[in-house]
Amino acid sequence: MAKTIMIVDDSASLRQVVSISLRGAGYEVIEGCDGTDALKKLTGQKIHLIISDVNMPNMDGISLVKAVKAMPAYKFTPIVMLTTESQDAKKQEGQAAGAKAWVTKPFNPPQLLAVVQKLVLP
Amino acid sequence: MPTSVQFLWLKGQFNSSLVGLVGGTGIVVAGGRGIVGVMAAAGLVCLGVLADIRQARRCSRSRDETASYVASTEQLGRDVLPVWSAHLESSRAQMEVAVAELTQRFAAIVDRLDQTLKTPLHGNQEHGLAEIFEQSNRELQSVLDSLHSAMESNRDMHAEVQRLDRFIEELQQMATEVAHIAFQTNLLAINAAIEAAHAGENGRSFGVLAQEVRKLSGVSGETGNRMSQKVKIISEAIAAVHHAAADSAKREESSAVASEAAIHRVLDQFRTVTQGLEHSAETLKQESAGIQTEVVEALVQLQFQDRVSQRMTHVRQNMERLPSLLTESLQAFDESGSLKPVDATALLAELEGSYVMADERATHAGDNTAGAPAISDEVTFF
Repeated sequence: MAKTIMIVDDSASLRQVVSISLRGAGYEVIEGCDGTDALKKLTGQKIHLIISDVNMPNMDGISLVKAVKAMPAYKFTPIVMLTTESQDAKKQEGQAAGAKAWVTKPFNPPQLLAVVQKLVLP
Repeated sequence: MPTSVQFLWLKGQFNSSLVGLVGGTGIVVAGGRGIVGVMAAAGLVCLGVLADIRQARRCSRSRDETASYVASTEQLGRDVLPVWSAHLESSRAQMEVAVAELTQRFAAIVDRLDQTLKTPLHGNQEHGLAEIFEQSNRELQSVLDSLHSAMESNRDMHAEVQRLDRFIEELQQMATEVAHIAFQTNLLAINAAIEAAHAGENGRSFGVLAQEVRKLSGVSGETGNRMSQKVKIISEAIAAVHHAAADSAKREESSAVASEAAIHRVLDQFRTVTQGLEHSAETLKQESAGIQTEVVEALVQLQFQDRVSQRMTHVRQNMERLPSLLTESLQAFDESGSLKPVDATALLAELEGSYVMADERATHAGDNTAGAPAISDEVTFF
């Protein structure tokens, strides 16, 4: 059965690009437009990995990471930050919140797939 | 306005009058209150007052112009900047919608190409075109084999019919012999009858015997004739069958040869067509894979929209700060009459603080040579 990955980003076109790469590799994809939307869609779903932007309206990526880590069902779900943020301070925030990897945009699809394959839950 | 400020302002307005008054007083005192001194003093005071009036008019005009300028600047912030901001946001939103639509279309193309690439080259899911061709070849070859087998049976039948000819000859020979025996028997019977007649009364029974033998020879002769006729009929019939079989065999052989040649021709053409089809299908598959790769690359490049959208949002949010700063400046001028400069440094600092991308910081620093960043392989694992 195909593994499910959630992509969270306020840019619809970017979610599409990531979805194409993931579906091409055989993953199922769920999309969220910001942190709040992502949390709503997490309920009841088996998610093997989350890819999230940092700067989003309503709830940013760092807050989403903290919220997901506080949910018992998703405590061990790996989260990859995919963002234009380039400053080390922000990276450290992400690491402290519980993110597993930090990928900078514009991203290279094979590189993102390699990160996903390395971190995705079995 | 505080009293001390009012006092100082008043003092500033009548500086020239005061100077004229002091000067005039000094002249009067120095001149011993003479009419000339008094007139000079009065003249000085008048000059001072005139200068003050002129100065006051200039100050008033300058103040009005300043107030007008400050008001117009405030209006710029209040009325014009929001329009610029709205245009910027509208452009950003339209670009986002257009790129999202474009991405969706490209995504659909990628999905369709993916489905095409996963579809087998032919309708049969288990066998390739080459195997179908070989199977057709085997089936047609078995049809040819059946045809050859039928021709072989015909040849056997023809051989059997030819053997029958020999039997017919033998039968004909036997019929001739029967006729000859019947003739000879008849002659013997005649001779016996003659001898019986010569024997008189003693030969009567012999004569009767000879008569019976003559009858029998007659019957034998007729039987032999009928046999000959039947054999002739059978012989003719067999000859006809033989000719018909020979003709049929020739036609069948010609037909088989022609069919075999036609079948091989068709199979060769079929092989050429299927090979061409397989080659074309393989080429199409490779081209589809190439197109799919190109479309995915194009999609990746559309990531620029996300970056541009963020930059435009940062600029718009900073622009929207300006009207309130200009309004504060106007209020301060209305209250105190003094101009409060807009803190451009603080505004720029706010803008810089909103940046998330390295190229934003580069542009802020005046480096306009930095283009869009390249696709990044930068990954940090925690």
